[in-house]
Amino acid sequence: MNNNVILESQVILETEGLCKYWGGLKALDDISLKFHDRELHGIVGPNGAGKSTLLNLLCGHYKPTSGRIVHEGAPIDAIKPYAFARRGIGRSFQKTNIYPNATCLENCSVAVQRRMGGSFNFLRSRHRQEVLEEIATEALEKVGLLSRRNEVAAHISYGEQRQLEIAMVLATSPCVLLLDEPMAGMGHEESQLIIELLKQLKQEYCIVLVEHDMDAVFELSDKLTVMVDGQHLTTGTVDRVRDDPRVKEAYLGQGDEVY
Amino acid sequence: MLFNNRTERYFVWVFFPLALLMPLFLEQNTFYVSKLTTVMIFAIFVMSLDYLVGRCGLITLGHAMFYGLGGYIFVMIAPEYEAVNFWVYTFYICVIAAAVALVIGFLVLRTSGIYMIMITLAFAQMTYYFFSDSLDFGGNDGVFIYVKPDTSLFGLSLFDLENPTHFYYLCLLSLFNTLFFFRLVTRSRFGRVIDSIHENPGRTTALGYNIFVFRLMAYTMASALGAYAGYLFTLQYGFVNPSMLAWTTSGSALVMSILGGIGSIYGAILGVLVYEGLHFSLEHLTEHWLLFMGALIILMVILFKNGIAGYLEKLLERR
Amino acid sequence: MTTSLFFVQLINGLQYGLLLFLIASGLTLVFGVMGILNLAHGSMYMVGAYLAWYFVQQTGSFTLSAVISAIIALLIGIVVERTLIQRLYRRNHLDQVLLTIGMIFVFNALQSILWGNDPLGVQVPDAMSAAIPLTDVVEYPVYRLFVALLCVAIAAIMYYMINRTRLGMLIRAGESNREMVECLGIDISRLYTIVFAIGVMLAAVAGVIAAPMSSIVPGMGEHVLIACFVVVVIGGMGSIKGALIGALLVGLVDTFASVLLPQLSSMMIYILMAFILLIKPQGLFSS
Repeated sequence: MNNNVILESQVILETEGLCKYWGGLKALDDISLKFHDRELHGIVGPNGAGKSTLLNLLCGHYKPTSGRIVHEGAPIDAIKPYAFARRGIGRSFQKTNIYPNATCLENCSVAVQRRMGGSFNFLRSRHRQEVLEEIATEALEKVGLLSRRNEVAAHISYGEQRQLEIAMVLATSPCVLLLDEPMAGMGHEESQLIIELLKQLKQEYCIVLVEHDMDAVFELSDKLTVMVDGQHLTTGTVDRVRDDPRVKEAYLGQGDEVY
Repeated sequence: MLFNNRTERYFVWVFFPLALLMPLFLEQNTFYVSKLTTVMIFAIFVMSLDYLVGRCGLITLGHAMFYGLGGYIFVMIAPEYEAVNFWVYTFYICVIAAAVALVIGFLVLRTSGIYMIMITLAFAQMTYYFFSDSLDFGGNDGVFIYVKPDTSLFGLSLFDLENPTHFYYLCLLSLFNTLFFFRLVTRSRFGRVIDSIHENPGRTTALGYNIFVFRLMAYTMASALGAYAGYLFTLQYGFVNPSMLAWTTSGSALVMSILGGIGSIYGAILGVLVYEGLHFSLEHLTEHWLLFMGALIILMVILFKNGIAGYLEKLLERR
Repeated sequence: MTTSLFFVQLINGLQYGLLLFLIASGLTLVFGVMGILNLAHGSMYMVGAYLAWYFVQQTGSFTLSAVISAIIALLIGIVVERTLIQRLYRRNHLDQVLLTIGMIFVFNALQSILWGNDPLGVQVPDAMSAAIPLTDVVEYPVYRLFVALLCVAIAAIMYYMINRTRLGMLIRAGESNREMVECLGIDISRLYTIVFAIGVMLAAVAGVIAAPMSSIVPGMGEHVLIACFVVVVIGGMGSIKGALIGALLVGLVDTFASVLLPQLSSMMIYILMAFILLIKPQGLFSS
């Protein structure tokens, strides 16, 4: 891997001393991370390490107790949840989160429409403007769901639903993708499909990936962060992190959660 | 649930021609004509509620507030002994009701679920007590309207509101327009966002939509139409009183909406027809019609979940 | 306002608030434990009042009538829960609203069939018909004081039950985690029946003890239901403590408003509610 490329690429999203407390419980404690453009940043750690909490803070779902989130130079931790998506911070969810009764195309169209405008047009048919559906179709094509275009989302397979969710995020034309266990509950072949997809996507986007499948994370990540008990343990390239004795200890100390 | 368009199309083609000819069959039987007029008016009201509850997922038990306001706004702003223009006042009333809905909606839509049900009810009761306690508006007796508005538009007066048959056609036209309007709205891009919010609000926020604003828009729109229905009712009977604002008005509208098939929009017409038909015939059979109505509602909730529109659709699909 | 009048209004407000608490606590308990919004809860208050009137006519004793009424209410609660409410646990709010609206219709119809639509009244029991003189001109009826004390006693019993007994422990567990209670091998449907029946009985008892203080009229149930909504919205749905605070607030505001701002009196509690909603949309003590 060419290290120069990584050094040159721009910081898009950044956290400074980010904390989230639930009452006395420190779910996230003093996390400072930098996420670079066109880089896949993996986040791993045992259960309860605060990975999902971190994602929920980064996408505006939770408000931080203290600390800052900086996006392209501007602090954004005080803005409303929906405004995160408008700034181009898109996320997928741990539990499949789509519109099950709508077609795949319609799922993506909702996402496209947000930036195309016209959401307050009460009278004109939603199918009138073809550009919108074209962009939505492109997003489906990117994740390989073109053939499922007009099927109802509830009727496609679980793996395809996860792909659809990524397509929806892409349709918002994001600059940062926050992916929460996109491979959870998938079979090997389906996972492989997502891995290939992510390899393509990281050429274009800044991706933050939380994932339990260690092989996938090692294969995909340009940078890796290990978290334990809501705290930052280490960040570095995959090889460096893998050989870090503290990481082994953290995982082994937890007993069963090796992967 | 989404209703297929075929059933709706059949319904529109059967119902509206029949309704157009109905006054001819009834041969100026004013009682039935005016009874049907009331059904049309209430169908507009129930339709606006159906949109909120079935399409937007906003369960309100306070929709009668706007029904009553439609009438009270009229008596507040219209001169007592002078005929005003119907269309101009339609505009005024819808705008004022929308402004009220914007304020109430701002408070109500901060909450959701059970809370929203209770808060909408409480606000409706607040207006109910305001008007029933106020001497300016005749307390429980309400206010009479001595002069009905005239309907001239560009010098052309299509309807004479004193004539029950004319009034019937005005209400039929309004009902058709309301149905048509909601058809457009549900198919629009705004409708797409509303569908998305109904199905998965969290996801819709994550896609960058400010769902509060969309809900507020839908609430305002439906409330203004509810007020329009109340305005028509007030004109038909020539008075407005607090019972229009009572929670029972909201409650029975909700029942009719479910009976018709919640979220189907056109089902509102079916719901009102069947409910009022039952009400009317039971009332003639026994003074304790309320008992049968109550039992019917309970049975309906337990057995008949998709309403009449849902039932019709199943029938059509089977063939 | 003179000091004594202020004092009288203060007790009136507290007493009304405590009565509201009795009804609202049942509503909030049923919601907290079972997730059911029972719109027919106010009807139980009405049923209590009518039953009290009926059995006073039959037996001549208010105490006896109160006991019989409470038992009948408990039975009504059990039957209604077993036959109807049980079907609602996996349904949405809309179905709950509709079914309980249907129940209101049925109860109102039964009331009109059994007892007619004319206002009725119950005599204050002889033992408590006296009044305590506060000043030369102002006196306070003993019965109202008794009602206030009775409500306090019932609230204390409820507090004890919820915090110290096994049933209370299950109720608290059921509020926070339904599955856990089921995993513990407890028959949750029986717990639900008990909770619902207790809720119904609380509302009916409130109706019984309110009967001698106000006239018994059709529609009294709905009136009280709406007041209870305001109480639980203010206090926070599902919180007994919230219901107590909310009820006292509503009682005091309503009473003082009718003296100080008679034109706005029936609107004041809603204005209070709107104000609290602006600050805390989930109520003061939401869990």
